[in-house]
Amino acid sequence: MTRRPFLGWFVSPAGLVALGLAAALAAVFQYSLRAYIPGSLDVGGFTLGNFADLLKPIYGSAFLQTVALCFETAVITLLLGYPLAYALVRTRNKALKSVILIIAVTPLFLGEVVRTYSWMIVLGNNGFINSVLMGLGLIQKPVQFMFTSFGVVVALVHVTLPVMVIMLAAALSHIDRDYEKAAESLGAGPIRAFLTVTLPLSMPGIIAGVTTAFAWTFSAFATPQLIGGGRVNTISTLVYQLGFASFNFPFAATLSVAGLALTLVVLALLKRVMRPLEKLGEH
Amino acid sequence: MPAGSPVIEDAPRRAAVQLDGVTKKFGGSVALHEAWLKIPSGEFMTLLGPSGCGKTTLLNLVAGFLDTDGGEIFIDGTLVTETPAHKREIGIVFQNYALFPHMDVAKNIGYGLRMRGVPKAEIARRVEQALALVKLTGYADRRPRQLSGGQQQRVALARALVIRPKVLLLDEPFSALDKNLRGSMQVELKEIQRELGVTTIFVTHDQGEALSMSDRIAVMSAGRIRQIATPDEIYRRPADRFVASFVGDVNVLKARLGSRQSSEAVATVGGIPVIVPAGPLNDVASGAAIDLFVRPEHIQLAPAGEAGTLRGTVSTHIFQGGHVDVYVEAPALSRDRILVRLPGVDAITRWPVGGQVGLRFGTTDLTAFPVEGDPA
Ligand SMILES: Nc1ncnc2c1ncn2[C@@H]1O[C@H](COP(=O)(O)OP(=O)(O)OP(=O)(O)O)[C@@H](O)[C@H]1O
Ligand SMILES: [Mg+2]
Repeated sequence: MTRRPFLGWFVSPAGLVALGLAAALAAVFQYSLRAYIPGSLDVGGFTLGNFADLLKPIYGSAFLQTVALCFETAVITLLLGYPLAYALVRTRNKALKSVILIIAVTPLFLGEVVRTYSWMIVLGNNGFINSVLMGLGLIQKPVQFMFTSFGVVVALVHVTLPVMVIMLAAALSHIDRDYEKAAESLGAGPIRAFLTVTLPLSMPGIIAGVTTAFAWTFSAFATPQLIGGGRVNTISTLVYQLGFASFNFPFAATLSVAGLALTLVVLALLKRVMRPLEKLGEH
Repeated sequence: MPAGSPVIEDAPRRAAVQLDGVTKKFGGSVALHEAWLKIPSGEFMTLLGPSGCGKTTLLNLVAGFLDTDGGEIFIDGTLVTETPAHKREIGIVFQNYALFPHMDVAKNIGYGLRMRGVPKAEIARRVEQALALVKLTGYADRRPRQLSGGQQQRVALARALVIRPKVLLLDEPFSALDKNLRGSMQVELKEIQRELGVTTIFVTHDQGEALSMSDRIAVMSAGRIRQIATPDEIYRRPADRFVASFVGDVNVLKARLGSRQSSEAVATVGGIPVIVPAGPLNDVASGAAIDLFVRPEHIQLAPAGEAGTLRGTVSTHIFQGGHVDVYVEAPALSRDRILVRLPGVDAITRWPVGGQVGLRFGTTDLTAFPVEGDPA
C-alpha cells in the first residue's frame, strides 16, 4: 500500500456532509412511520398506515407521471445535446464553439427559479411563443403550454441540457478523429461511420448523461411546481403540497422515502437496460 | 498505345495515382504547391521530407479527407477530385493505427468488407487470409488494446489491404515502433507490397527508410516536390541543394566552374579538376564560385602530398561498427570538417588524429550547385 498522507484530510469534509445527510434521512424515515394528527404539527405513534396510503391511485399516477416526465426529458435532452456536444468537440470554428458553449452552459448560472420564470414568460398564453404565432396569424387563440406536462418537459430539458452537453462532450473529445477517417476510408459513408464507430464509442457518455438527467429531473421541484401549476403532479410537488399546505409531515415523509426507493429502482433498471448498449462501446 | 497520339499518351489512365498541379492552402499559407505526380500501378512511392513540408497534406488529398484548392486527382484513370473519401477505394494505415477499440481484430479487419455488403462466409474467409498474410493467425478474437504496437500495426495493415484497395497509403507507420521492430516491419511491408503488387504511397521523414524501401522517392520541402526519382538517382544525382543535403550525408566544398560541355561540366576544387553534371549550373558563369557536393564514401585518404590529392588534417575518428567516420580539417576546401567514410577498422591506426592526409575525390557521383543565396 502506498501511503496517502492527505487522504484523511481530503475525505473528512465529505464525511461530515454524509453524516448530516444520513441524520436527515433517518429523521425522514422515522417520520414516515408516524401517524398524522390532523390540525397539529405533532405526530402520533408508530404505524405502517402511511405506506398503505401510497396505494391510492393518485400516488400511483404521480409516480408514473414522474417517471414518464424524467424519461421524456432525458431522451429529448440527449437528442438535443448530442449534436451540440458533437459540434462543440469537432468544430474548428471558434465562433461556433463559443455560441454552443453559451447556449449549453449559461443555463447553469441562472438559478432554477429564474430559468423557470423565464419559461413562464415564453410559454404563457400571452407569452412569447403564442404572441408570435398569433401575430403571424397561424393560430386564432393561444395554445395551452402552461400547466401541461409538455411545458414542464420543455423547461426541464433546459435545466438538464448543460450537464448532458458537458458529459457528452467529455466522452466525444476522447474519440480520435482518425477512427472516423479510418471508417470512411474503408467505405463507410459519414452516417454509417458515425453509427458504427462514433456512436458506440460515445456510449459511456450517453449512459452517464441520461442517468444524470434522469436522476436530476426526478428530484426537480421548482419547474414542475411553477409551470405545472398544480396540474402536473410529480412526487416532489406532492411532497411539497402535503408537507407545506396540509402540514401532513408523516405522509410527506412516506412519499419521500417511496420516491427515493423508486429512484434507486428506476436507476437500477436503467443500468440493466443499458448494459447491452454499454457493451457496444467497451474497449 | 498507338504512337503519335499525344492526347491519349497524356491520358491519366496508365497511372494508378496521378496528381495534376494539385494545390492546397490553409488560410493564407500554401501547404502544397502545384504537385505533379504520376505513380504507375504497383509502384512503391515514398514521400520524403522534413516535418511540415506537406506530406500528410498530400496523402489526405489523395485519400479525400481534404478538398483541393486547385488541380485534379486521378485514381486508376478516374477523376476523383470531387469524390468523397468513402468512395475512393483506398486503404490507409494511420500513424497511431486507429484500430476501432470496440471491435476485436476480426471485426476490425472485416469492417471494410461489411461496408461493402460482402457475404458473411466470404468475409470470414478473407479475414482469415488477411490474418495469415500479416502472420497473426489465431489473434482474431483479441481486442486492439491486448496487442503490442507491432501487432496493432499488422492488424491496421490487414484491415487496409483486405478491401483490395486501388492505392495503399501509409503515413509514417513505423514512427511509434522501436528501432529493431521498425527494421523487421520495413522488410515485411515491402514483401507484402511486392507480393500483392498494390500501388503504395508511403510517407516518412526518415531518409534511410525511404532509400531502402522505395521504387521511387518524391523529395518534398516547404510544400513543393523537389525531385521524383529512384533512390539511387536521388542519392547520386540530387536535383538541388536541398535534396543533396537532406538525403544522406554530404560534404559541401568550395569549387570553381571551369568549362562546360552539353551535359557535363568541369569544376576545379583546390586546383584539381572534377566532372559534375552541368544541369544545375546552367545559369552560372565560367570561373564563378560553386559548391561541390561530395558523399563521405566518395572520398579516399592517401598519404599527404601524393599527386592529385588535397591536403588536410585528421581531427577525429568515430567508430561505427561496419565502418569508420574520419573527420578531416581542410580550411581551404570547407568551413566545416570534411567527413570521410572508410570501411575497416584499420583506418583508425592508419590515419592517426593530428596527422596530415591527402584527400582524393572519386570521378563519378559528384554534384555541384550555385553557391547558397544565388538565384536558380
Ligand atoms: N488543418 C490544418 N490547418 C492549418 N494548417 C495546416 C493544417 N494541416 C496542416 N497544416 C499546415 O500545412 C503544412 C503541412 O502540413 P503537413 O501535416 O502536411 O506536414 P507533414 O509533412 O506531414 O509534416 P510531419 O512530418 O510533421 O507530419 C504545415 O505547415 C502545417 O502547419
Ligand atoms: Mg505528417
